[in-house]
Amino acid sequence: MGLIQRQVEARGIPTVSITVARDVTERTKVPRAVFAPWPMGHHFGAPFHREIQLRVLREAFDLVQSAERSGEIRDLPIKWATVRRESKHLSAQGRQL
Amino acid sequence: MTTSEQSVGESRAEAAADPRQTGRQLRPGLWHTINERYPGSMITKDDAVPLARLNKPLAEARVVMVSSCGVHLRTQRPMDVTHPLGYFGFRRVPSSARHDDLIIHQLKFPHDDADLDINVSFPVERLQEMVEAGELGSLSESFYSFIGYNMDPEKFEAEVATPIADAIGREAHADLALLVPA
Repeated sequence: MGLIQRQVEARGIPTVSITVARDVTERTKVPRAVFAPWPMGHHFGAPFHREIQLRVLREAFDLVQSAERSGEIRDLPIKWATVRRESKHLSAQGRQL
Repeated sequence: MTTSEQSVGESRAEAAADPRQTGRQLRPGLWHTINERYPGSMITKDDAVPLARLNKPLAEARVVMVSSCGVHLRTQRPMDVTHPLGYFGFRRVPSSARHDDLIIHQLKFPHDDADLDINVSFPVERLQEMVEAGELGSLSESFYSFIGYNMDPEKFEAEVATPIADAIGREAHADLALLVPA
């Protein structure tokens, strides 16, 4: 994914990625990334947790506007334990939420 | 206890801490782990790409999304998840798609939660809502999807990365690109 991000940015379109593997992202030197300390396959948190999904998106779009240097990685200060706790009751209520 | 003994003790305590509670990467050293299992599959770049700038407000910007989670329309031909070197192709997914239209074919990451709510990996419905709310200008007609299991970086760059970047440059008319690995 880092290769695609670098190529798109090089074509003049600003890019941002979400990563759960900070070490991989650091080595790939992508232009901008938001790091979420969450499991693979959960870059936007947990099912039906709209607020956290939107939070990740808004952080990413904010970084596009504010990043000063290429390679900036913004750490999302939300622990996985918090995401799971907040989303526990959401899953049971299904997609209507 | 000497200072050095104290710092060793602290680092051991830190290493033993549950990463779900610390906010650190849940699987540290992922680059080395994968590169040991699949030698040569992981890349390192030495140079930074100069930043392109967003030249309009977000509320007027057109957004394109690229995902490696292997999502596609239920009506599209699935990507090959069994080839040992990976699958070197991609799919266009309409940005108007909803959870029920989509399916993930991928073996290399846990997508049980994304199967319940696609927005966990591919936040297409959240992006649609941000457009409706006026936070974003619009979405490109198609988003782009591929499988993030590719064991040949050169072939991947030639057959997946460059064609997707070219397609975005040619047809997405995007002001901003969101890239989401899985």
